[in-house]
Amino acid sequence: MAPGELVALYGPSGSGKTTLLMLIAALLRPDSGAVLVDGRDISRLSEREASHYRLWELGFVRQSLRLMPSASALDNAALKLMGTDLKPRDAQRRVMPLLEQLGLAERIGHRAEQLSMGERQRVMIARALSTDPKLVLADEPTGSLDTERSCEVLELLTEICRQREAAVVLVTHDPQAVAYADRVHTLSDGRLIDSEAGSTFVTPVAK
Amino acid sequence: MKLSNIVRLYRVRLRSRVVQELFAVLGIAVGVALLFASQVASTSLNGSIQQLTSGVVGQMRFQLAARDPHGFDERLLGEVQRLPGVLAAIPVLEERVNLIGPTGQRTVDLLGTDPRLARLGGPLIRHFRSARLSGFPALAAPAPVARAIGVASLQSLKMQIGARMRSALLGTTLTEADIGALVHSPIVLGPLRYVQRLTEMTGLITRVFVQPRPGRDGEVKAGLERLAAGAFNVRSGDFDAALFRQAAGPTNQSTVLFSAISALIGFLFSFNAMLLTVPQRRNLVEDLRLDGYTGQMIIRVLLFDAVVLGVFASLVGLLLGELLSVALFSANPGYLTLGFPVGSQRVVSWQSIALAVGGGLLAACVGVLGPLRREIWLPLASAFSRPERSTRGKMGLVVLGLGCLVVTTLIVLLAPQAAIAGIVSLIVAMLLLFPAALMCVIAVWDHLRRLLTGVSSYLAVIELRSSANRARSLAIGATGAIAVFGSVAIQGAHSNLQRGLDRLVHQLSATADVWVIPPGQLNLLATTPFRDADTAALVRLPGVKAVEPFRAALLDFEDRRVWILAPPVGAARPIPVNQLVSGDLASAVAHVRSGGWAVVSQALAHEHRLHIGQAFTLPSPRPTTFRVAALSTNLGWPPGAILLNAADYARAWGTTDLTAYDVTLTPGVSATRVRLAIQKALGPSGLGVETSHVRELRQRAASRQGLERLTQISLLVLIAAVLAMGTAMGAMIWQRRQQLADMKVDGFKRDELWRALLLESALLLGTGCSIGALFGIYGQVLLSHALATVTGFPVIFSLDAMIAVVSFLLVTAVAVSIVAVPGYLATRVRPALSLQD
Repeated sequence: MAPGELVALYGPSGSGKTTLLMLIAALLRPDSGAVLVDGRDISRLSEREASHYRLWELGFVRQSLRLMPSASALDNAALKLMGTDLKPRDAQRRVMPLLEQLGLAERIGHRAEQLSMGERQRVMIARALSTDPKLVLADEPTGSLDTERSCEVLELLTEICRQREAAVVLVTHDPQAVAYADRVHTLSDGRLIDSEAGSTFVTPVAK
Repeated sequence: MKLSNIVRLYRVRLRSRVVQELFAVLGIAVGVALLFASQVASTSLNGSIQQLTSGVVGQMRFQLAARDPHGFDERLLGEVQRLPGVLAAIPVLEERVNLIGPTGQRTVDLLGTDPRLARLGGPLIRHFRSARLSGFPALAAPAPVARAIGVASLQSLKMQIGARMRSALLGTTLTEADIGALVHSPIVLGPLRYVQRLTEMTGLITRVFVQPRPGRDGEVKAGLERLAAGAFNVRSGDFDAALFRQAAGPTNQSTVLFSAISALIGFLFSFNAMLLTVPQRRNLVEDLRLDGYTGQMIIRVLLFDAVVLGVFASLVGLLLGELLSVALFSANPGYLTLGFPVGSQRVVSWQSIALAVGGGLLAACVGVLGPLRREIWLPLASAFSRPERSTRGKMGLVVLGLGCLVVTTLIVLLAPQAAIAGIVSLIVAMLLLFPAALMCVIAVWDHLRRLLTGVSSYLAVIELRSSANRARSLAIGATGAIAVFGSVAIQGAHSNLQRGLDRLVHQLSATADVWVIPPGQLNLLATTPFRDADTAALVRLPGVKAVEPFRAALLDFEDRRVWILAPPVGAARPIPVNQLVSGDLASAVAHVRSGGWAVVSQALAHEHRLHIGQAFTLPSPRPTTFRVAALSTNLGWPPGAILLNAADYARAWGTTDLTAYDVTLTPGVSATRVRLAIQKALGPSGLGVETSHVRELRQRAASRQGLERLTQISLLVLIAAVLAMGTAMGAMIWQRRQQLADMKVDGFKRDELWRALLLESALLLGTGCSIGALFGIYGQVLLSHALATVTGFPVIFSLDAMIAVVSFLLVTAVAVSIVAVPGYLATRVRPALSLQD
């Protein structure tokens, strides 16, 4: 994958899309084979190294729009940075431009319950991008949104990731979402059906 | 990860769970409060004597003490001072007296000492020297004592010493600024000569405290023993504190047991409350792990939650505990004041605070981290799935539970002294068997409901079987189980002990029809001596058949202050029936009457390896050899008792003094009428006259007061449990509103849903409380057995099923009633909620 490239994994439920995403996120270990990210086999990382990898090199955008209840949009977006050595104020300062870019400048002080579904998903994107990762994994990010909000979110996601040169792996079974991808791979019953079997699926992110 | 980040994370998350956190705070605070209050009660009891002892003794290493209140010649002081190696010696005359003023009376220890030597004693006596009383015939009393009897400085008061009344002058009152916490001690000080005059003991003292020169302890002790010549006791200076610790042992043990059960209830209360926030914390942990937080970082985040919760709850708990301790637990067991000058000071040690706060913090940490251990440590992909416990796992719990029951049974049969361990294994068994019991109840109910119409019972079974609510359901049920268990076990043992004591005091009082005895609560054990008078006038009174001397004393037998009872040789029933635990009553009575034989309480005999027929030397003022006629209970006096005949007592104590007249009446005569006639005949002797019935009532009241704290704490535990279960169940139901809305959309009616919730609560709470009641009955057996064998109390064994039934019904009914309100409100949820995000 090239920096800023968006690759869509398309396929029906149970085809193995999320499992593949979990392998890339070092949340699962493959029974055999290797998962190479930036030339490194991340399936061999220890728990601690895997955590470090997810914190600094990976952004994860989930379908679930679960935010910390009663916490503000700003605090929710800065959650990932709280795990770093940044002070809370610096973490918030760092995530602010992202929120502004995502159109949430007016909503940063609003509590999670006061945000619409689309706004919540944008907060999740800000959180995923807050550590400036090179790779973003998006698991059905528009699954809970209507068509209009889905388009908004996908446009913002692709635009910001391109600007930041972050590659995106987008898991979806929404044909509309596929339209935003630079490349599309289809999965069925755990196999790529539009690619040569056995080949490395996600290539190392180019520097 | 910086601490400031952890603090920030805590703050932003707190807003959404303030109510649940407050529930958790309340739960932990209740546990901490009960733990702290019972600890303070225990340390205050021991501490009051410890403080008084050190206040008098100071650095004095040894004491030469008389074995009875008559004391010894004060010239012995000179001999002590001349012993090689003695640095200093202080004479003390000690007498328990009753101070009487215009507004009340107080039992105190009257201490007379030589003010010239007072600088050598403890802080209490040192102050006495500087109190400008040295040369004046006047007393110094702590201000609370003076206030209680309504006497001020330089006013006179009445003093009852044995059967005599004396007037004395209160020279000064001592405040907290003068003597610190000792101001709450029941003690009055006076110059030795003045106290000797008041007590009619001129030239006599009861103790000499001795300070050896450095490194000459052994030499001084040997010298003191030579001087004592077996007629006096040579002990360490602070020996009274050790004697008291032994006497207060049963009270302290029961307090420890209650502390443990209270802490467990408090923990379960808080655990229930914290389970309300587990879904939220679980989501947070999942998010953090996906975002790259390590397990250690997550533990730091959660640990901070726990520490804040634990510290805050512990502070609230200490405050509540302080209130409890002042309002409820301040009264000391009355029976101990009969043998020791127990003060009313509250001793709050750092250990009590540390134990309570440590318990609170531990509960918070376990409550926060315990339910999330899978989510923190397992690989992320499997951490958030909730696997059902396998059948093998469930069977494992049952087998472990049965194993614990076997351990408990072995303790009951073979090692009743390990009763506390037995209670712990019984509680563990109950908790391990509870899930299986609940499943059985659900299965039976499921079977029964098929015979019934209506959907409510079906819904209740579905919810109880749901794995989503399993941990919370079990925690709620376990809270009820432990609370009812504690209440039933301890109330049952209490009831067995109370019945045993009631029977004993009846038997002891009934040895005479009318008692002539120095009056006052101080003399409930009839140990205050008075001189034998001419009883011919009493014998001539109409209705009086016989007047015989009764003698009793408290005697220090090694580290026990033993109650010596010596009924008249001719007493019809010298040994109370049912109090023998070993030996034949008829032959024991015959032996005791014949002289030279004694009935010894079992624990005392066991400690000295005495068996029936064996000879032992009683360390009385004139050491005398007796043989063991039988083994008895402790006759209601925790350190133990020895029963001999009054003539043997006179020989062993070298005195004709007695402590009561046993008056036997002609059958059919009114005891009340004769009592008045005897009182008139005695004139102004200072002796009181009471019927055996009145004496029995006084003794019963004292024993009930001694056990009162058990009832109070047991009630508090039940209240805490009802609150815990009611609020936890209510909150669990309240969180289920979305699901209730879904069911309404599916066509279920509100009253059906409400009935289902009530039925679910009743089944869960009822199962918890009933298993608690069943195990509580076994707990009664264990505790009663321990009381009888370890401390030798006269326990009447019976299984008090009524306590079990009442506790079960009461707790279940009240908790279900509490749940009914949030249940009703929750079922009013709008069905539209089901369709909202």
